[in-house]
Amino acid sequence: MIEIENVSFSYANSEDGALSDVSFRVQKGEVVLLCGESGCGKTTITRLINGLIPHYYEGELTGSVRVGELDVTKAELYETARVVGSVFQNPRSQFFCVDTTSEIAFGCENMSLPEDEIRQRIAEAAEDLEVTTLLGRSIFKLSGGEKQRVACASVAAMRPEVLVLDEPTSNLDMVAIKKLRKILLLWKKQGRTIIIAEHRLHWLMDICDRVVYMRCGKVKADCRMQEFVLMGACRFKEMGLRPLYLENLAPRNSCRKEHGESILLSDFSFRYKQAKTLTLDIGGLALPKGGIIAVIGHNGAGKTTFARCLCGLEKSCKGVLKEGGSVQKARQRLKCCYMVMQDVNHQLFTETVLDEVLLSMRKPDEAAAEKILDSLDLLPVRKLHPMSLSGGQKQRVAIASAVASRRDIIIFDEPTSGLDLRHMQEVSENLKQLCGQERSLFIITHDLELIMECCTHILHLENGRVIGNYPLDFEGCKRLELLFGSASVNRGNALESPFENRLQNSGSFKICKHPKAVEKKYMHQNMAN
Amino acid sequence: MQWSILQTDVDARGLVLDPRTKLLLLITMAVFVLGGVGSAKLSFFNPVLCLVPFFLLLLSHRVKTAMVSLLLYILAYLIMLFVVPHTMGLINYLLLGTGVVVMRLLPGILTGMYVLSSTTVSEFTAAMRKIHVSEKLIIPLSVMFRFFPTVIDEYSSIKDAMCMRGVNFGGRNAGKALEYRLVPLMICSVKIGQELSAAALTRGLGGNVHRTNVCRIGFHITDTVVMALCAAPYVGLLLSWCGVL
Repeated sequence: MIEIENVSFSYANSEDGALSDVSFRVQKGEVVLLCGESGCGKTTITRLINGLIPHYYEGELTGSVRVGELDVTKAELYETARVVGSVFQNPRSQFFCVDTTSEIAFGCENMSLPEDEIRQRIAEAAEDLEVTTLLGRSIFKLSGGEKQRVACASVAAMRPEVLVLDEPTSNLDMVAIKKLRKILLLWKKQGRTIIIAEHRLHWLMDICDRVVYMRCGKVKADCRMQEFVLMGACRFKEMGLRPLYLENLAPRNSCRKEHGESILLSDFSFRYKQAKTLTLDIGGLALPKGGIIAVIGHNGAGKTTFARCLCGLEKSCKGVLKEGGSVQKARQRLKCCYMVMQDVNHQLFTETVLDEVLLSMRKPDEAAAEKILDSLDLLPVRKLHPMSLSGGQKQRVAIASAVASRRDIIIFDEPTSGLDLRHMQEVSENLKQLCGQERSLFIITHDLELIMECCTHILHLENGRVIGNYPLDFEGCKRLELLFGSASVNRGNALESPFENRLQNSGSFKICKHPKAVEKKYMHQNMAN
Repeated sequence: MQWSILQTDVDARGLVLDPRTKLLLLITMAVFVLGGVGSAKLSFFNPVLCLVPFFLLLLSHRVKTAMVSLLLYILAYLIMLFVVPHTMGLINYLLLGTGVVVMRLLPGILTGMYVLSSTTVSEFTAAMRKIHVSEKLIIPLSVMFRFFPTVIDEYSSIKDAMCMRGVNFGGRNAGKALEYRLVPLMICSVKIGQELSAAALTRGLGGNVHRTNVCRIGFHITDTVVMALCAAPYVGLLLSWCGVL
């Protein structure tokens, strides 16, 4: 179905993601996972298949790319669009229309299908992908998971033979991932060819047939999923890949310095203007001071609202924060809390990295600023424009300015969405380093791996209320594992449905352990062979 | 969330007018209320025309906006009618100035708000195609519809970030506050614009075939009423040119 032959490509204005002499074929109906570190060329391959290279992203291309009968490098984009459907990483920027129904119709309209046919396809796609209740809504009012499902529906309505997904789960929670899984399984059953570039691997184990591992623009491994699964955890780490199983993780943070002091929050309730119910409703809450607190919960549980209220950005939130002897209202909190936003581009203003740090200091002091930059490994780039840095560096610049302004509470909004293993660990190192000083960190995240790497405490929000507030010790781990385990399912096909039901019904930890034991046994046998 | 002006929610928008009617209304408002064409002879009709956007906003569930602006308009009207003739000098100047601004600008702004908040992109493109506007103009215009709410979204995030850093127009770095806002805004907008066009292209936008549009638009009784109201001042203007009025 897809033939990529001797393709080399380099972007016109960037060195990242270049390919050198890549060849592989994908059979009709195959589901292929593309994995590898950031910048290894995964995204470039997806762009080759959907024709955005060379027609939209410019660069030097040699070799040939064929999808079915079509020579993608020569065909017009709208011709390729009929055969290849694409779902992208950022749910915010892949909608052309402002309401969901027109969005699903959009692709079909471009294909010039008759009106009745389009209506029928919309209904069908909406039914299949369980978005019927979302039809006719403004896309600005959907959660990330809902947006991603609508994006899938709009692609599905065009009924392409090939589907390309570029890191579709970056911004999704476990439940949304589970729904996306269902969509992929449906597409697979319909016999479509699917290519997925992804960092989070655990949800794809029983969907993908084949894995293509890339490094530095080359295909380094190309094997069946069954073989891939058998590579040990060490091998995965070596390859810079995220783990396949979420169950074996153990908390690893050594900087557990509980001084028994705590931060008290009271009356944190907040309602958006047009909302009927409270978006956030926290009466009283005690959290350990100086810890790394993971704020978890589904998309739309009120995590971001909580962060905004904590920072004092929502001035109408009457909540009070008590720490030691001081009582802080929203206005004072604005001066002692800092949020590192999910899109750090929003918070870098100045012309050089150094200026960025100086701007945050009460009394600009260049020597002190350089010291902070040095501690975050940013000294070599201090004269560069912040916008010219890589994503991780930008994030560190934002952290540096938080440190420079001497904030006691720093909040991170999804710091690892869409990051590979190495970058995720880098972030977690930064977090641990920050926490070593007299500081409390809050981390809003869906990333269990990150939580296990560095967090010390869990705050679980659902529907704006606190439903869990516990330290990440042995007991806490069990609770967390169960929580994430019941949402992600990555076992063999045969086991899947009955097992999943049992797990959800019983909600007990024992059963959760069971399949792992089976898998371990299986692995041992294979190794022996 | 507070910027829902530009974000159309199809389920909850109440009265639906044809986009062409809205366009006509917008033009009429601009010509007669804002531009004040034929003001001396048609001035009696202006208030009637100005009431239209208030009603439309009311009917599309924006009661608060409608009521507040209606009160403001009536207040301005009464001041112009009863207070202004009795004042002198600076006060007269100020009252006259604000009164005129409110009476001329407010209805136009409200109409614009109504049009933007009640029109979906596909309705808009369907209407444009019916009045035979070129595709070359329709596509960029429809992208604008999509782009503005996004930019506003971005802007509010940036404002928050500035707020957290203590950079604002009153603070230490007041002089640079504007630059600090615009640089990240532009960078984010460009990035989103790029991703948007990539997404649109992979869905086949810009093909050589004639696009279909599933959106059904058409004229209803309400459209006729609004159009009749809009036609009235033009007729009046014609009559006055012919010397009848």
